[in-house]
Amino acid sequence: MIVMRLKPIAEIREMVSRHRHVMLVGCNTCAAVSLAGGETEVETLLETLRLASSQFGPLTKFSGAMLQRQCEPEFVEKLDLESCDAVLSLGCGAGVAFLAANEGVPVYPALDTLFIGAAKGMASWQAECSACGKCVLGYTAGICPTTRCAKGIMNGPCGGVKDGRCELGDRDCAWVQIYDRLEAQGRGDQFGDLNVHKDNSINSSCCEWDMGPKAGESR
Amino acid sequence: MCALPATQFPGPESEPTRLFAPCRANCPLHIDVPGYLAMVAEGRHTEALQIILDRNPLPSVCGRICLRPCEDGCRRCKLDDPVAIAWLKRAAADFGSFPPARPNRPRPERVAIVGGGPAGLTAAFDLAERGFPVTIYEAKERLGGMLRYGIPNYRLPDNALDRDIDYILSHGIKVVTGVRIGADVSLEELRGENAVVIVTAGLQGSRPLPIPGADMPRVLSALPFLEAASRGQKVDLGKRVVVVGGGNVAMDVARTARRMGAEKVDVVCLESAQEMPASNEEVREAHQEGVRVHCSWGPVEVAAEQENVCGLDVKRCLSVFDSEKRFSPTFDEDEVERFSADTVIFATGQFADVRDLGVELTPRGGVIADAESCLTSVPGIYAAGDVVTGPSRVVDAIAAGHRVAMCIVRDLTDDPRPLANLMEESRVLGEVPPSMKSKLETRRRVQMEKLEFYEAVETFDEIEAGYTEYEAAREAQRCLGCTTGARLSREKCASCLTCMRVCPHNAPGVKIGGFLYFDAETCHACGACVSQCPAQAISLEGHSDVEMVQRVERALYEPGFDTTLAFACGCTPNLPALPGSDTRQITVTCLLRVAESTALKALQSGASRIAFMGCVEANCRYPHARALVATRVESIKTTLHQLGMDKAFIVPRESQEEDVHLR
Repeated sequence: MIVMRLKPIAEIREMVSRHRHVMLVGCNTCAAVSLAGGETEVETLLETLRLASSQFGPLTKFSGAMLQRQCEPEFVEKLDLESCDAVLSLGCGAGVAFLAANEGVPVYPALDTLFIGAAKGMASWQAECSACGKCVLGYTAGICPTTRCAKGIMNGPCGGVKDGRCELGDRDCAWVQIYDRLEAQGRGDQFGDLNVHKDNSINSSCCEWDMGPKAGESR
Repeated sequence: MCALPATQFPGPESEPTRLFAPCRANCPLHIDVPGYLAMVAEGRHTEALQIILDRNPLPSVCGRICLRPCEDGCRRCKLDDPVAIAWLKRAAADFGSFPPARPNRPRPERVAIVGGGPAGLTAAFDLAERGFPVTIYEAKERLGGMLRYGIPNYRLPDNALDRDIDYILSHGIKVVTGVRIGADVSLEELRGENAVVIVTAGLQGSRPLPIPGADMPRVLSALPFLEAASRGQKVDLGKRVVVVGGGNVAMDVARTARRMGAEKVDVVCLESAQEMPASNEEVREAHQEGVRVHCSWGPVEVAAEQENVCGLDVKRCLSVFDSEKRFSPTFDEDEVERFSADTVIFATGQFADVRDLGVELTPRGGVIADAESCLTSVPGIYAAGDVVTGPSRVVDAIAAGHRVAMCIVRDLTDDPRPLANLMEESRVLGEVPPSMKSKLETRRRVQMEKLEFYEAVETFDEIEAGYTEYEAAREAQRCLGCTTGARLSREKCASCLTCMRVCPHNAPGVKIGGFLYFDAETCHACGACVSQCPAQAISLEGHSDVEMVQRVERALYEPGFDTTLAFACGCTPNLPALPGSDTRQITVTCLLRVAESTALKALQSGASRIAFMGCVEANCRYPHARALVATRVESIKTTLHQLGMDKAFIVPRESQEEDVHLR
């Protein structure tokens, strides 16, 4: 799931300050699940912006709407923007971009999109994937070095590791974890088998993908 | 191609049927008990009263003297004490306002009701609400029946009864008192003037047992004695009184005799202590007032000395019922005893006294009425209540009143809907599961202030003082909220599983396909999941954000210049001094029910600042909510800080707790 979080209110207010009627649009898929863009968060942000508008101006009208997913044309078609002159999207980057491409008014992001992650518990996520386009998790015991190594190193730990911790101090060293888990799974000897030259061009070469029956390749 | 095996989740496959809390199922009126307790817990007495009145037009009466089958069913029984449902009904009636009568479309069919007791009043209320012109004919000078003339004032004072009756009569019901149908006006005459007649005459007859000496002047029967007491008349009893009988009426008689100055009151009954039909509470209170109860004695003769009563001779009763549970007492003729007395009062049952009505009667004198249609042997004449069923509880009489009214609505309008059985195709919630029991805090019932017994026997003043508003809120918060818990809107659910992560009782579960469901048995309606659901897919009965916003707007309706709006958890006894020229309070079951958007909205609706008065209790009924409330407080603080409005939100550290349990 894509994990997002709310931007600072000041930044949001600055973005929409020139508009007279702003529609807040939530997304009931990843954004709701990451507790950042569901109906509850839309209503809270709506009331926050209304309060700010009434207390400090400029007087702006704010309304709210929910979409099941902001990144699907069939859902987005249903969005009725009434008389608003801007959209504030509580979706991920894809949602913002897709709305911006399909609606005739400026679309602003209310959230920052962080990563693809898994739930650790209540309102707590672990970043697991950076959508690099060339998955190596089979070699790395399911721990993504691109995502979890601060430097994104592909061939073992750097010199900054101390007692299994990254020198940044905010995380365990991904490569130490990879080694430990491979050992635990009885395949410690495979450490170092990651011998692929990571093709970083895959997700930057083309941004439109057609997975239809003709080809599993970029257009 | 074979189908992939789906991940297996335990849980129900089909939608559950309509669920009833056991308190609601046990009540013959099926009042929405958890619904009104939730309102009392939030200090919303008028709303609570409205819920009660939907099923019971006599809340002040039932709040005092109902025998409380609801409390026997309460799921708290096996944890500590049942919730004081009846006392809370009384609180709703004490503090709430009775609503004005709803306008209705008048109907032409006139209805006459014979007897203004609970069954008659209820039927009159139901029919008047539906537009029928109703007249109640009452033989005595005031309405109420046994409620007024049978139940002593120290249990049910006239002003409480009058409050309910005034409400019922406000629906445009005519009353003719002092007229005895059958004697003063014939039933036929009444039938001619009205489309239908309902006989709810109750059981007005009571007489001493036919034993030697029972015809002496100082041998009384219960009903005339109680009636005299209720009129404030003094009956000369002498110093020693013996009461014969083992039911609640016998206890009422004995306690009334104490209040009339009898120094020694003995109750003699046939049944053993276990078989006695009187409620334990009544027996206990009678005992505390100095009444002595002697079980397993059968009256033989009222003993006389120079034509004055001097005592009651009794013999030992060995058993009351035979092997087939029929009344067939056996005695030990050798073991005899004399209870000395100046007056003997018989409280040995009541009978219907309706021979002059001209409808077909049972051998015991009750009216024969069809169980389905409530019709008697005479067309157009219905009967209900004790006059048909024999002695029963007040709630049963009210239920009978509803039923006969609904039969009449059906017969006069050809609309069968009113007779729909609420309980049909429903399931009653089971016991609290052990997993949940271990996580619930023990909280004993909040005791009600009562007259001390040495004070009580001096007067006919009401013994129970009634809860204060705070006590009522505290007691209502003991309710487990059975069946009012989480409900899921599958259309809105984003399957984020946050509800599963916040529920302390594991009420939410996942079904095949990733669909959530809630187990009603383990949900106690704390609202934690509702407060955290990002998709607003979960709702609670009796609570919604829309309603919260309405409450906020009502609280801020009167303009103010420097108003503080305090959201207080029901455990908060009194607000500490808060800044601002005036403070308005909204009591909520738990602060989790105040959404962040609601709080922010209040600041736009005229509040200069908002305050969160949290639970100060060590044994909060929702201990897990504390951390969630703290998170919400932080979130609101952060938002307002970002807007430079830090001073618009106050969260006091501590407020005083008043311990009501120690009284």
